[in-house]
Amino acid sequence: MLPGVVLTLVVTLGGCVQTAPPELMQAVEDLDRELAVARGVEFAPEEYTRFAQHWVAFKDRLNYEDDSIRWPWESNALALELEQLRQEGALAIQAAATRREAERRQAEDRVVHLERRLQSFTTTVDTVGGRMLLGQKPVKTELLVKQARSFFSQGHFSRSVVASDQATQLMLDQTAVLGKALGRYTDTGRIETWRKMVARAVDWSRLHRAVAIVVSKAERRLTVYRNGRAVKTYPVRLGYSGALEKRHQGDGATPEGQYRIIRKRDHGQTKFYRALLLDYPNEEDRRRFRKARMARTIPAGITIGGQIEIHGSDNEALSATLGCIMLDNPQMDDLFAVTEVGTPITIVGALDTANPVALALADLEWSDEETEQSAVQAQERQDTVGTPSLSETERS
Amino acid sequence: MRTWLPFLIAGVLLIGAGCAQAPTEKVAAAEKAVEEARTAGAPDYLAEDFTKLDGMLASARTEIADQGAKFALLRDYQKAEQLLTAVQADAERVKTETAKKKEEAKAAAVQAQKEAQDAVKTAQGLVAKAPVGKDRAALEAIKADVQGLEKSLGEVQTALDAGDFKAAIAKAKAIQEKSQAVSTELRTAIAKVGGAKAQAKPAPKK
Repeated sequence: MLPGVVLTLVVTLGGCVQTAPPELMQAVEDLDRELAVARGVEFAPEEYTRFAQHWVAFKDRLNYEDDSIRWPWESNALALELEQLRQEGALAIQAAATRREAERRQAEDRVVHLERRLQSFTTTVDTVGGRMLLGQKPVKTELLVKQARSFFSQGHFSRSVVASDQATQLMLDQTAVLGKALGRYTDTGRIETWRKMVARAVDWSRLHRAVAIVVSKAERRLTVYRNGRAVKTYPVRLGYSGALEKRHQGDGATPEGQYRIIRKRDHGQTKFYRALLLDYPNEEDRRRFRKARMARTIPAGITIGGQIEIHGSDNEALSATLGCIMLDNPQMDDLFAVTEVGTPITIVGALDTANPVALALADLEWSDEETEQSAVQAQERQDTVGTPSLSETERS
Repeated sequence: MRTWLPFLIAGVLLIGAGCAQAPTEKVAAAEKAVEEARTAGAPDYLAEDFTKLDGMLASARTEIADQGAKFALLRDYQKAEQLLTAVQADAERVKTETAKKKEEAKAAAVQAQKEAQDAVKTAQGLVAKAPVGKDRAALEAIKADVQGLEKSLGEVQTALDAGDFKAAIAKAKAIQEKSQAVSTELRTAIAKVGGAKAQAKPAPKK
């Protein structure tokens, strides 16, 4: 009986089963849920793993270990451990929130900059008539920008940045293509050649006291010279790839060179109100075409083209031709009245280094900072994640 | 009594040694279950749950190591076995839920792909109605866009095949949006320049 009394006294006066304080347990459960919402496993993987594994081990001990006795003078080890877990969880949440915000800002800056860039890029490309030269790249770029925005909106910031980088690279590629195709508009030697062509046309007009026509593609302007003096200027529309050098049929380019009117088509003789047919291709055009054919830069089966006219329009909505030079009908009436078969037509690229195409090309150029930033970030992604779109750990 | 005492001691030691066997088969089974959950895609679809599952396996291994460090007669692997049983059960749950989430993601991606395909088809139909001849100049750029959109559908399929359903959905939705914009542009252009196709006369040279 005595041992029983002693035991009862001991338990009653001192020893208690060690328990995990329920309020601390709840606090850590709440932190666990908060971490899931904050995507802790994604934004703070090390901190989250440390917390999660500690939490799991703690719960395992509670479930599978026998109760232990804690004497009044002893601290509650379970409570201490829960407190440590609470601190770990709070640190993990803070780390996740900080990194998430940093990634969000980076992705947002990138996509906003890109969207603005794309808008001005598209407008400029249309201005120089370079759209067809770029093939499917413009639509692919636009799709990537949309994906970047979509990923950003869904909180998938690293994927957004990857898409932004890919879109940026595509735009850089397109800038290079246009630079190569339209670089002659910035070439002072070429512009000088064009000026000389125009000077010869103006001299001819003065010598023969006749009308000569000059078309500047970059300015989209047709000038009528009479007796060596400019008497009229009209805005014109060109081929849908008008700024490019005409190489073959179907390229949408307006040719450059010295031509003559070989036929006048009046009302009823053309579907384009009135038209002046030029003698394209001339000898220089044929020589260039043969050279390109031999160099196989023009595919077999493609012809040099023809039927280049200066004409009016039966549809005011038409913004481009297939290569012809188009005027509004009243202006076509004026031109038709002052020209005749044999009137020389000189078509040049530009007469000034500060021409619209050259200025547009300058607008398309990326700053050294943008180019370098894009290259560095793309390389960083390649170094750290390999195939970014498949190796990121993200929740669906 | 002395004659059977050594046998008694030996017997106790043998029984003790038998009880102190680490549950190696259960460890292997638990590891296999976790690996199956990983292969099923749990780190992508149920990242938190998988991290905790890994933690449970780590706890079990720690417990086994702790018991192994004790004197043989004092070893008790009961807790470790219970942990390993829990790991296997949880791994199975994670694997099942992952498969379900993956199926949901795949279904959403396939639906987005279909919607994109329909939108591209509509745009292609409008391109076919576009006028030819000189009037087609206005539509050349749009045609190039439609060709680009059609080609981009292939990227959606590639993403689907790779199981990257998020990328598939993003690509598909972008294609659908652009296709719809192009279709609107085409309808406007066709209305402006006329929808009649060239019949008798061949297209003029340019």
